[in-house]
Amino acid sequence: MISVKNLHKTFHNSKGANEVLKGIDAEIKDGEKVVIIGPSGSGKSTFLRCMNLLETPTEGEIWFDGKKINDPKVNVDEVRAQMGMVFQQFNLFPNMTVRENITLAPVMLKKMTKDEADDKAMKLLKRVGLEDKSESYPGQLSGGQQQRIAIVRALAMNPKMMLFDEPTSALDPEMVGEVLNVMKELAEEGMTMAVVTHEMAFAKEVANRVFFVDYGKILEENTPEEFFNNPQHPRAKDFLSKIL
Amino acid sequence: MESISEKFYDAFVKNDRWMYITNGLKNTVIITAFALIIGVVLGVIAAIVKVSYAKKTKKGVGLSIANAIVTIYLTLIRGTPTVVQLMIMYFVIWKSGAPVAVAIVSFGINSGAYLAETFRSGIQSVGRGQEEAGRSLGLSYGQTMRKIILPQAFKNVAPAVFNEFITLLKETSIAGYVGIQDLTKGGDIIRSQTYDATTPLLLVAAIYLVIVIGLTQILRVIERRYAVSDQR
Repeated sequence: MISVKNLHKTFHNSKGANEVLKGIDAEIKDGEKVVIIGPSGSGKSTFLRCMNLLETPTEGEIWFDGKKINDPKVNVDEVRAQMGMVFQQFNLFPNMTVRENITLAPVMLKKMTKDEADDKAMKLLKRVGLEDKSESYPGQLSGGQQQRIAIVRALAMNPKMMLFDEPTSALDPEMVGEVLNVMKELAEEGMTMAVVTHEMAFAKEVANRVFFVDYGKILEENTPEEFFNNPQHPRAKDFLSKIL
Repeated sequence: MESISEKFYDAFVKNDRWMYITNGLKNTVIITAFALIIGVVLGVIAAIVKVSYAKKTKKGVGLSIANAIVTIYLTLIRGTPTVVQLMIMYFVIWKSGAPVAVAIVSFGINSGAYLAETFRSGIQSVGRGQEEAGRSLGLSYGQTMRKIILPQAFKNVAPAVFNEFITLLKETSIAGYVGIQDLTKGGDIIRSQTYDATTPLLLVAAIYLVIVIGLTQILRVIERRYAVSDQR
């Protein structure tokens, strides 16, 4: 589905250059669920954001669906339309109703007619138990509801893959479960997923593989059982001892 | 001493002088309305150029040229008096133009420069996450701007744009410099004919005041309607 080769990312600012990613190689296969964990500042979010080119890699290659996508000739918008993304801060459009949030992109990009998109939106909203909120504005909803709608908004484009960037980190604790449940269902249906998260229970339950990222590299790549019970890399051992 | 009613009769009724006021008001409204439209269009374009230029890491030649033009535009317009701009437009650049058309263009260009900063701050007040959300769905930069960023930016800057509207309305009172009979000039003509300055000028001032109060009320209604999506 997606493979990343020798990915480097350097940010430039007034203080100079900051190399956040220092050579990442990874592959996520069709239907696989990969959880990316690591301390804050490790580069895990940047890694995820490079996959749909919200960040432009400084060096290296990203291949999606058999095509190298970090190439000037590639239409980035078409690639992104096939990859859903869910953000920590939900990023729903506050000036639109829930239904408008969901149907905007499919209709604008002519993937569906307005009626088809409305239908799809209602079906998806039903699935996440929010069909009665279609005419509400995001500001009227709880964080958990907003994040479920953000997931629906991404799914409305029928993506081949979903990226989650700390989807539960901005939520009140009692709302984390409802969002994780939607993600679990999605995983069971066979969606290809890359999830940056601090929810270790979710990683254990859902992931096929765990990437442990720190210092801008994948330090350990393992099955969740092996990773949580028998971590190999000293940095991973240290990290797990602090959070578990 | 003449009575107030006699003064009023002389200033507005005798010789149909009220027409100086109504025709003047018509010109003032026309100039203000069309200049505002030009100003908003120019302001939005200039703001988008500025924002895009500031954000892009790889700056294309076209964008660099556009940014240079916008920078010169803002510097020239904001660095010179409006009345001088109007006179240059009328006596130098567009000599053959109808005075009202010249005034519309001149005030529009002037307003655009001030609105550019307003819109720029409005666009930047919309969080980066909104743009990323739009782009992550596959929308282009332009589509994201048009459908997601600009509507929110307009909402955030509506009060500031209305202030510019009000400023513009009052600023058009210098149109008399290029021979346009606007509201102010109309009152002034009556003054010159009746040798009574008080009555026509107070009326002119009162008309500006009423329009400004009316516009302020409209702004309140607009803000209330916008506030629907802010309900919690």
